[in-house]
Amino acid sequence: MRIALDRLYLWSGYAAGFFMVAIFAIMMVMSLGREFDINIPAGDDFASWCMAAMAFLGLAHTFKKGEMIRVGLVVEKVTGKKRWAVEVLALGISTVFTLYFAWFACRMTYDSFRFHDMSTGVISVPLWIPQLGYAAGLVILSIALLDEIVHVLRGNKPSYEKEPPTTPDEFVERVASGGAG
Amino acid sequence: QTKWNLPAAYPADNPHSVNLTMFAKDVAAATGNKLEITVHPGASLFKAPDIKRAVQTGQAQVGEVLISIHENEDPVFGIDVVPFLATSFSDAKKLWAASKPAVEKKLASQGLMVLFAVPWAPQGIYTKKDLNTVEDMKGLKWRAYNVGTARIGELVGAQSVTVQAAELPQALATGVVNSFMSSGGTGYDSKVWETLTNFYDVQAWLPKDITFVNKAAFDALDKPTQEAVLKAAATAEDRGWKMWEEKTNWYLDQLKAKGMKVAPPSDALKAGLKKLGEQLTADWKKKAGADGEAIIAAYEKK
Amino acid sequence: MSLPLTDLALILLAALVFILGSGVWIAVAIGIVGYIAMMLTTSVPVGAVLATTVWSSSASWALAALPLFIWMGEILFRTRLSEEMFRGLSPWLQWLPGRLVHVNVVGCGIFAAVSGSSAATCATIGKIALPELEKRGYDPGLSLGSLAGSGTLGLLIPPSIPMVVYAVTANVSVLQVFLAGFLPGVLVMVLYSGYIIGWSLLNPSKVPPRDPPMPFKEKLRQSTKLIPCLTLILAVFLALVFGFATATECAAWGVSGALILAWWSGTLTRKTFFESVMSATRLTCMIMFILAGAAFATAAMAYTGIPAALAEWVKGQNLTPSMLALYLSIMYIILGCLIDGISMIVLTAVVVLPMVQQAGLDLIWFGIYLILHVEMAQITPPVGFNLFVLQNMSGKDTMTVARAAFPFFILLLAAVFIITEFPQIALVLPQMAFPPR
Ligand code: NA
Ligand code: NA
Repeated sequence: MRIALDRLYLWSGYAAGFFMVAIFAIMMVMSLGREFDINIPAGDDFASWCMAAMAFLGLAHTFKKGEMIRVGLVVEKVTGKKRWAVEVLALGISTVFTLYFAWFACRMTYDSFRFHDMSTGVISVPLWIPQLGYAAGLVILSIALLDEIVHVLRGNKPSYEKEPPTTPDEFVERVASGGAG
Repeated sequence: QTKWNLPAAYPADNPHSVNLTMFAKDVAAATGNKLEITVHPGASLFKAPDIKRAVQTGQAQVGEVLISIHENEDPVFGIDVVPFLATSFSDAKKLWAASKPAVEKKLASQGLMVLFAVPWAPQGIYTKKDLNTVEDMKGLKWRAYNVGTARIGELVGAQSVTVQAAELPQALATGVVNSFMSSGGTGYDSKVWETLTNFYDVQAWLPKDITFVNKAAFDALDKPTQEAVLKAAATAEDRGWKMWEEKTNWYLDQLKAKGMKVAPPSDALKAGLKKLGEQLTADWKKKAGADGEAIIAAYEKK
Repeated sequence: MSLPLTDLALILLAALVFILGSGVWIAVAIGIVGYIAMMLTTSVPVGAVLATTVWSSSASWALAALPLFIWMGEILFRTRLSEEMFRGLSPWLQWLPGRLVHVNVVGCGIFAAVSGSSAATCATIGKIALPELEKRGYDPGLSLGSLAGSGTLGLLIPPSIPMVVYAVTANVSVLQVFLAGFLPGVLVMVLYSGYIIGWSLLNPSKVPPRDPPMPFKEKLRQSTKLIPCLTLILAVFLALVFGFATATECAAWGVSGALILAWWSGTLTRKTFFESVMSATRLTCMIMFILAGAAFATAAMAYTGIPAALAEWVKGQNLTPSMLALYLSIMYIILGCLIDGISMIVLTAVVVLPMVQQAGLDLIWFGIYLILHVEMAQITPPVGFNLFVLQNMSGKDTMTVARAAFPFFILLLAAVFIITEFPQIALVLPQMAFPPR
């Protein structure tokens, strides 16, 4: 079970990475293609859908890696039992909201399927197909949050909490590739 | 008191948005503020592709959208962008009358009721070079943004280029695109004279914005309020058509004043385009089936 | 049901502070506030609005540039670019009072043109510059401070992640905001270098002697190390100007260029490629999730009518634009001490942007104004990314670094005043490229 879940987060993260490379490929072909009379019809639509798929499929992986940001001002001040309570509260609130969000994303995708909603560009694509990545990403994030809350309730350290870096080099690497600042 | 939200896609100073704001005012006045409609222009609440669904699912009660963006869903929504079918305000009005029942029926099946429809100005061709025949369009870097424009590009042998509306001014400036189809107003708004020289007023089609209401929300109103809404809607439709008819010439004059060559198409170009139009109308009929056939027949009879 | 708007606003603000404070992830916290706002004011189906607005804001062509700019930075971070920058620049800056400290400013300025983040710029240049400066005996306060300050150029000189975030939230052209950042970026560099010169003239004893002079030929040879980086910047720029790429596609060109550079310098391996993809993915997802929360909150606020009411209020107050800018400055400096830049932008955009528009301020200009405050936020304690970076690299505590960075904070503030007085510094480039209607 543990292995299966971890694989789920990791592989959906890989899928997100794949969609990012796909955005790159689409844009390069669109840009270079103009010089050779090659056009990707509705290329802008496809890039947009890759963007959405990437943004949501990678969430669980990002969360587990501890790269989702929050305001640590209060949380980092408390320790021990109190810290545990704060973490459970934060996880609880986030889980409930994400489940709610995931539910409605699934419903929207199902509605698109039911209403036969179509894309509005040059190529006609049923919208539920690109929306699948969006809904699935949120469902996987919900699973990751539920998983995490169980993990913390059992008295374990949250897995999104990173060990402090041991060398300055490690720190630099972490900040440079993790901080949005 | 009832409060409605009306998402709309175009900026607050666009004639469509101005008309909607006046519509909301009329409704408030006629109902003694019993029904208050807040207009959210400029896609500030929902973006254009989402407005129909938002109203359908009760996220907003009224909405306005360029109906042809939904042509992939049902060809009947795309009748007003079939190139060279209806090429003047009076033809567009006739076409709307002929297609209205079908559009209304389709929207009704989605829980929506049509309030009114207002056209945009006729679409022309912006280029950098002179077009005397359709053959001159060969090799143009042509912006294709919907089925019709993509088909035109394909038929005349232009190079179709995908560029989003927001990036159009920059794409024109740097030569990513050197021709596109739009109304005089769009060209004026994006200062097209700085990069292109010609506007051919071919009047390819007049797309329409349709304002619709969620049927359940409408039914929940009392009788006098319903009537007030319908009356204000009728007024808004008349006003909208008039606004655009006046605005069209103003825009063309502005383009001329900025030094653009604004001209009707030559006879040869016109004939070529007409042939294209027949082909594209046939395409559309094939997609739309018997219903489409009936609409075209009704339109041509008048 | 009908709550006075001021009460509603206070309730929402309190909820936001409480939820953020309890350690809930920022995206979720913003989303919950949006949910509360809608529950209190409308009867429309909230969940449906959440799903629709987030989908349509995420599936966006303009946003697709964001992961690519991030990816480009990630690739370059894994090359030896910073080392080469130091070696290439240092021979030329010896003659200026302050000498090699200027490498911090110029190096960060150049690196900023390929990186979209402040912490990354600070860390990459700092990694090499700090030890070199220390070895030669430069004043640690000045080198730390100038590095902290110059790192923030990553945000002001395009490309810039917060600028993409701002442009998307404010619904303005990313390219225009990018263009607007150029000259203010140069202005900030001039202010920084000016300060370093002034400081060095006042403290001549604290500036170590020149490195042994280098023959001109050798100087040139060292400078060839700058060529790859400058070529990349130039290539992306030319791709845009000559119509090979649209503004958004430029990001893809940047990635291509970065990949070629990395390949050429021999640092592109399967491992670094894979790492760069995954770390860019995670950073993008983190930002996108916050943007998702913000998109929903924006729609929720439109339903409540608070932003419109605030805009009306500003109109009624007859505030001059510069008065409004002053008030907002105070608010942003306080906020900037506590939260990171991107949160600062998205948390305030909903209510601030309508006010700004009402006061007649240009949204492109305001983007630069806001980015300057985000830059300050990077170097103010207790939460400042650049401070954290340098704290760790130098082993000094946050307060020491913050004190060293304080003059540069003041210089950024001066830059805010200057662009408020002379908005053309920001607007001239975008207006040249996109003449106003
Ligand atoms: Na930058
Ligand atoms: Na700070």
